[in-house]
Amino acid sequence: MKQALYAGLLLGLVPIQTTVLDHVSISGIRPDLCLIAACLVGFFAGERDGMVLGFALGFVQDLFSAGELWLNLVTKGLIGFLAGLVGRLLANATPAAMLATLLGLSVVSGTIFLMAVRVGESLADLFYVVRAVLLPQALFDAAVGTGAYWLIARHGRTQDATQEGPTPFW
Amino acid sequence: MLRSTSGPRRVVLVLSALLLSIFLVLPKQSRSLLQHLGQPFAQIVAFPLGALSALDRSVREVWSGYIALRHVREENRRLRQEIELLRGQNGELREIATATQRLGALLEFKEGAASETIAAQVVGRDTTSWYRALVLNKGGRDGIRPEMGVMTQVGVVGRVVKVNSSTSVVLLVTDPNNAVTGLIQRTRDEGIVEGTAQGLARMKYIPLLSAVRIGDTVVTSGLTGGFPKGLVIGSVRSIDKGEGDLFQSAEITPEVDVSKLEEVLVISAPRPLEEPAAAAGSLVPKQPQRRER
Repeated sequence: MKQALYAGLLLGLVPIQTTVLDHVSISGIRPDLCLIAACLVGFFAGERDGMVLGFALGFVQDLFSAGELWLNLVTKGLIGFLAGLVGRLLANATPAAMLATLLGLSVVSGTIFLMAVRVGESLADLFYVVRAVLLPQALFDAAVGTGAYWLIARHGRTQDATQEGPTPFW
Repeated sequence: MLRSTSGPRRVVLVLSALLLSIFLVLPKQSRSLLQHLGQPFAQIVAFPLGALSALDRSVREVWSGYIALRHVREENRRLRQEIELLRGQNGELREIATATQRLGALLEFKEGAASETIAAQVVGRDTTSWYRALVLNKGGRDGIRPEMGVMTQVGVVGRVVKVNSSTSVVLLVTDPNNAVTGLIQRTRDEGIVEGTAQGLARMKYIPLLSAVRIGDTVVTSGLTGGFPKGLVIGSVRSIDKGEGDLFQSAEITPEVDVSKLEEVLVISAPRPLEEPAAAAGSLVPKQPQRRER
């Protein structure tokens, strides 16, 4: 089941990211579904799964992005790993804690991109990109990711109520 | 409660450290390795990408059809009035068209061979918000190669930066990572056109004595590969001339609205620049060789 879910994420997320998500973009900013998926998998399934899926998602994402072929691969892998570490520290995560975690991880990812991508020439350009891309992206990721977390957690609770024993999120 | 995953964690950490060091030490080799490894993945992902794009397009068409129907009666009445007006203008335009045809044949005589192009459909946008890029539905097996220029009938769109077997990625002219050599059409001053953080373009290294004005058209100079000479990039929106600067720069509004692109032409063979004497010496008018696949 887990493998099927990961394969589905690998095959489905990037096409959705490049096509459908354009309609929900705000000023050209779209939630980064691959980052959110790497975070949630890391959070629920541990840092190893988060990192491996992050690497894989980042790799596929890089194939359809104008950036260097390693940028998303490394970033998403790192984010999946960090999310796994945070997931181990937080025994009972609330949506608020998840919001803060996703916000922080998206800012980390954005900072890596900021260092790797040419954003302009002046300091004003840099501040503009932080204000117009990095922060809105982080807020968008955090909002969508927390929504997804809430749905998954709710689904888990419903299953717990009907079945015995702990229920994996998938 | 902490999970005891020290064994697998160590393996994963060693692997990731190894990966990172490969990226840092051998950036070029790792890029080509990733490119080769990525080909089959790209081909697999291209299927759901194509399907989603087609679905997205049809939903958009149905929606726009619905919106169109709501206004169709009012539009019909207005169009009938316009037809009457246009019928009158049509006669005049036929005369002008005949004259234009003659002049066009003369112009063709002066023109060199037109560029060969490959028509492609835009199936998506960049997977991140950090680049202004498009994903096209044609790739390496259709003849698309990196560094090829991309245009529409209106002007320059960008250049191909990544090619998979069935898709390719185009970096737009408005992206700060893109640079095209440009020419101010009126003054013939050359410079480099780069994208800006704000989604416009900026022409740099314009000579200080250039008489560039707001509204001037900027075209490609044809000096760098990918684009023929004379393709419209945009028009000058503002000029920066700082005290003590060696060059001026100008902010440019791109001619192509990159947010609404659906089809583009990839320039597979830019028109070679001809010597004026050779072009004038030819007696037989050349046929345009624009070819769309």
